[in-house]
Amino acid sequence: MAILSDNNIAHAIYLSLKDKSLDEAHQTHKNILAFLARKHLLGRAAAILLHLKKIINLEKGIVSATVSSVHRLHEKEEKELVHFLKKRYSAKEITLTKILDQNLLGGFRVEANDEVIDLTIKNKIMQLQKYLTRSAV
Amino acid sequence: MSHNTIVENLKREIENFKAQIKIEKAGNVIEVFDGIARVSGLSDLRSSEMVLFPGGEVGVALNLEEDTAGVIILGDFSKIKEGDEVKATGKILEMPVSDGVIGRVVNAIGEPIDGKGAIAGGKSIKHYPIEKVAPGVITRESVTEPVATGIKVIDAIIPVGRGQRELIIGDRQTGKTAIAIDAILNQKGQNMICVYVSIGQKDSKLRKLHVRLEEGGAMDYTVVVSAGASESAALSYVAPYAGVSIAEYFMDKGKDVLIIYDDLSKHAVAYREISLLLRRPPGREAFPGDVFYLHSRLLERACRRNQKYGGGSITALPIIETQAGDISAYIPTNVISITDGQIFLETDLFYKGIRPAVNVGSSVSRVGSAAQIKAMKKVAGTLKLDLAQYRELEAFSQFGSDLDEATKRTLERGKRAVEVLKQPQYSPEKTEHQVVSLYALSKGFMDDVPVNKIKEFERGLIDHAERHAKAFFKDIAETKMWSEKGEIELKKVIEDFKKGFSNT
Repeated sequence: MAILSDNNIAHAIYLSLKDKSLDEAHQTHKNILAFLARKHLLGRAAAILLHLKKIINLEKGIVSATVSSVHRLHEKEEKELVHFLKKRYSAKEITLTKILDQNLLGGFRVEANDEVIDLTIKNKIMQLQKYLTRSAV
Repeated sequence: MSHNTIVENLKREIENFKAQIKIEKAGNVIEVFDGIARVSGLSDLRSSEMVLFPGGEVGVALNLEEDTAGVIILGDFSKIKEGDEVKATGKILEMPVSDGVIGRVVNAIGEPIDGKGAIAGGKSIKHYPIEKVAPGVITRESVTEPVATGIKVIDAIIPVGRGQRELIIGDRQTGKTAIAIDAILNQKGQNMICVYVSIGQKDSKLRKLHVRLEEGGAMDYTVVVSAGASESAALSYVAPYAGVSIAEYFMDKGKDVLIIYDDLSKHAVAYREISLLLRRPPGREAFPGDVFYLHSRLLERACRRNQKYGGGSITALPIIETQAGDISAYIPTNVISITDGQIFLETDLFYKGIRPAVNVGSSVSRVGSAAQIKAMKKVAGTLKLDLAQYRELEAFSQFGSDLDEATKRTLERGKRAVEVLKQPQYSPEKTEHQVVSLYALSKGFMDDVPVNKIKEFERGLIDHAERHAKAFFKDIAETKMWSEKGEIELKKVIEDFKKGFSNT
């Protein structure tokens, strides 16, 4: 028997809730919970929710991105970044999580959809270190 | 170098440096244990793709699952921790290869470990994928050229051809590696590149072997690839594929390559370890289901390519260590069925003093006879049969002493044949010399020489023939053929020598 993955269950939940009115959705929620309890899947609820969030974001064209920088980004910079990300991932909406990290020394770093764009000074210094210590051939 | 020069150089280097801005695929380490990392993210990761860990360690994706990937770490995994960033490289695991690799000892990912600095080659260094589909039917050619191993019993009875895969199988301490090393030592001047892949061997053994190869001048045409016993199973798993990538580089240049995998039992054990850690289902002897494919795809890469496709060949001598002579275990039967024959070494023979301890009855070369030179074929034709008859009669003769003349003759001939085929380690013999000894044996010239004097007789005969049968030697070396004229000359030389030998 094939094992149901968290992603499979999340997908099924999404399809069962899709296009349903509030009342109908309420009943479906109950059914889902009953199903998870009956199949002893409540322990995996957090992982299933994570997948559900991913599926909903994908369907709605929402991309979550994390931007790390030493200082808070200016409004203009943030707007430009959002614009760039929207274009790159053909997204309708970008949810930006901002992190301040002094270790980056300067610049910023964006993480979205398994991709990393590292424009920090720290990364440049690391690259310089690699360049200067490369073995002579 | 003055301080100013150093500062100037540094300035120039920094001016030349341009930081690269690129979008990289990255994920995170979820867990890391026993040389395996489970990573999340990296949604577009391919099978066998290289990934990079923060400290520069390389990993290879083996298990691609729905949310995570199982990665084997090729290097020190003690510094990798949960949450570390993992970057995908988009490249399938590859091996840096160049002519500069000859004479070097490298690890399973092509880094030199012999303390002689970086591999020479600069921009000419190419990168060969470690996993490659073996050459197809159209590009291949049948095996016709011999590999002279310098070991009489092999060259005469179980000949190996260029492009063949001949398994060396036997218990521990039966001289498997010795045969392989002798074969490498004998390739001097034979237009052959040798690759010795050491898998899970002790570093002390490898060091000894390396010194021996250096002393014998064999490192001028040999590459050693090592994945030591202290290194992770991942490196042992990759090492033979890395070795064959080096071999393919030279084959692509039209050269003949001899590759030795020492040994594939340890390779299978390393793969079993990885598979079990990756939670792949175990099968017979706890090996995973694809352990046959593990070796078949490796050994299929040994081939002889036809001239239209560039020529060149890879001859493989895989080694398998058996437990208490059990060749019907899982891995030995697998590899026996993949290869084109096997050289079977036996503990009993080894301790009887018959070295190399080759069991002629169980050993076979399925394609090698086509590659044997005519002269050798002529003199060794009946040797295997003679030995087989001897072994059979030897058992019978222990029950009674009243034996007829024919049986006695067979027994006496057999004893001398065994004696002639004995050969000390690190002393490969030229094919011409082998032909002389075997001719003297098969034509009965040794029948009246006492068994304990056979070695002395043989040495003396070869010395004598070197001096008095120059034309014969030249003929064999050049044409590889057997001529009646040569036979007459050789016969005369042996008879002359025998007169002198009997008198002493």
